[in-house]
Amino acid sequence: MTTASFIMKNALRNKRRALLSVLSVAASLFLLVTLLVALRELTSPPAGLGAALRVAVRNKISITNLLPARQRPIIEHIPGVAAVTPFTWFGGKYQNEEGMTFAQFALDAKVVRRLFVDLKMTEAEWKDFEDEKTAAIVGKITADKYHFHVGQRITLDSTVYPGALTFKIAGIYQGTADDRNMFFHQDYLDDSIGLPGQVGMWWLKVKTIEDMPGVIAKVNQAFANTSAEVRAESERAFQLGFISMWGNIKMLISSICTVVVFTLVLVSASTMSMAVRERFRELAILKAIGFRRRELFALILAESFGLAVAGGLLGIGGAYVLFTYVDVSKMTHGIFVAFEVTPKIMGLAALVAGTLGVIASIAPSIAVARMSVVNGLKTLD
Amino acid sequence: MSGVNGNIVTIRQLSKLYRQGEINVTALNGVSLDIAAGEFLTLMGPSGSGKSTLLHIIAGIDRPTSGECHVQGIDVTRLNESELADWRNQNVGFVFQTFNLIPVLTAEENVELPLLLTQLSRRERHRQVQAALELVGLAERARHLPRQLSGGQEQRVAIARALVTDPRLIVADEPTGNLDSRSAQEVLGVLQTLSRAAGKTVIMVTHDPKAAAYGSRSIHLEKGELTN
Repeated sequence: MTTASFIMKNALRNKRRALLSVLSVAASLFLLVTLLVALRELTSPPAGLGAALRVAVRNKISITNLLPARQRPIIEHIPGVAAVTPFTWFGGKYQNEEGMTFAQFALDAKVVRRLFVDLKMTEAEWKDFEDEKTAAIVGKITADKYHFHVGQRITLDSTVYPGALTFKIAGIYQGTADDRNMFFHQDYLDDSIGLPGQVGMWWLKVKTIEDMPGVIAKVNQAFANTSAEVRAESERAFQLGFISMWGNIKMLISSICTVVVFTLVLVSASTMSMAVRERFRELAILKAIGFRRRELFALILAESFGLAVAGGLLGIGGAYVLFTYVDVSKMTHGIFVAFEVTPKIMGLAALVAGTLGVIASIAPSIAVARMSVVNGLKTLD
Repeated sequence: MSGVNGNIVTIRQLSKLYRQGEINVTALNGVSLDIAAGEFLTLMGPSGSGKSTLLHIIAGIDRPTSGECHVQGIDVTRLNESELADWRNQNVGFVFQTFNLIPVLTAEENVELPLLLTQLSRRERHRQVQAALELVGLAERARHLPRQLSGGQEQRVAIARALVTDPRLIVADEPTGNLDSRSAQEVLGVLQTLSRAAGKTVIMVTHDPKAAAYGSRSIHLEKGELTN
């Protein structure tokens, strides 16, 4: 017999309880990993190819305030600007569906390809999109969800502008970090609503990364003290501004994570205390035959740590396998495009499991350390 | 190593007071006693007379309120917790009334437990465990779990566990209390052999005069004091 086999036999002496303990830790850590990944996906924007060269320009007062279309030639003439497109949120509803899962934006169809270089379609689809004023392109996730196909005509009721618009799907794109949106011609929107000359915001592309700070400064200066002052910022800064709106959701998820971990500590500590209390007399015998406090603490710690880590491996491994090999986008109906269990999250969860094992062993170890051999022998006599 | 005049145990003015709520209970009151090496001493007396307390103090699992208790020349009352644990492992073998074997370990694993604290190799540990089990006549039951053994066999495994580190002192607290008469005779026979043939000092607490007859000397306690 080795010390390790002695610990193993003790840990598995009540197999049902050991199994339930491991499963409770596994389930809790699975939940923790899921929440941490969800939090990460919500707070870390997907970074697409070319994002480093893109600048978002919105109304300085609020993103919901429109900008005048006359700003475009001014922006285009700023040194370092390679391309500019309007970007106007349409806010359409498809077949009166509540909780729309894809957004629609009006833009310059001839420029979009240069700006969003990761957006992939066939040449024929690009041509159809650029040539046809009513044409729209749809991300693959949305196309798959609604069974859209090229050539199909769809009608969307705007919640922002009066009336509905009918679009002909000219292409289905993929390759972006979030293949869910729909893009169509700004001209079509302008003509249809009879309110030309206004756009939601501007997206522009700079020629080089070195041009970025200068372009941002010049765009902001160009419209300073006008009736439509703007805020130009990098794509990353713009996305982080959006994320800050998730503040309460972040706090909610963080709170749930804390509660999960706290509950887990209580359950595990209770289980270990119960397991040790049942063996008080045996531990008294071990003390009598020469085991010191630190050796008994090591035995209890190893048992507790082993059960917690086994549960941790099961829960973390289960989450990794599930979220790696299952189409989370389909499972969540496109709410989460990606759901990556990163090494950092796995490491953090493993650390929680290990710490849990240590904490759960503290109370029973203290009880055993305080126990006198004589009182311990009397425990179950 | 024996103490003064070949005594393995020398006790002087040993007292032990317990506090039970508001009341002080005297378990031992100025007990002085010498136990010679190789002796099979039986401690007798009514319940609450202090015999188990005396045994526990000699074995280093309880501490007196006052007095001295030298075992093999060492005053065990002055050792700290950690030193006492080491001392017990090397010098004392325990046999309890309720056997106290670990139920998930086989007989040989139970016997091996005290050796896990030593520097012995696995092979050496196995050899010593086999020798101890052979000494109590249970070598063929080495792989049995406690629940697969009779009460007498369990107690013999407990004796093997007490012997495996080759201590000079074996303390037994009513070792036949839970056994039928035949098993009790077997266990007492083993303890007697250990004293007579192997030179071990055995101190046994018992209520049973028949059991006490196996010892080489018997002393009586009453109300915490020696009566003979």
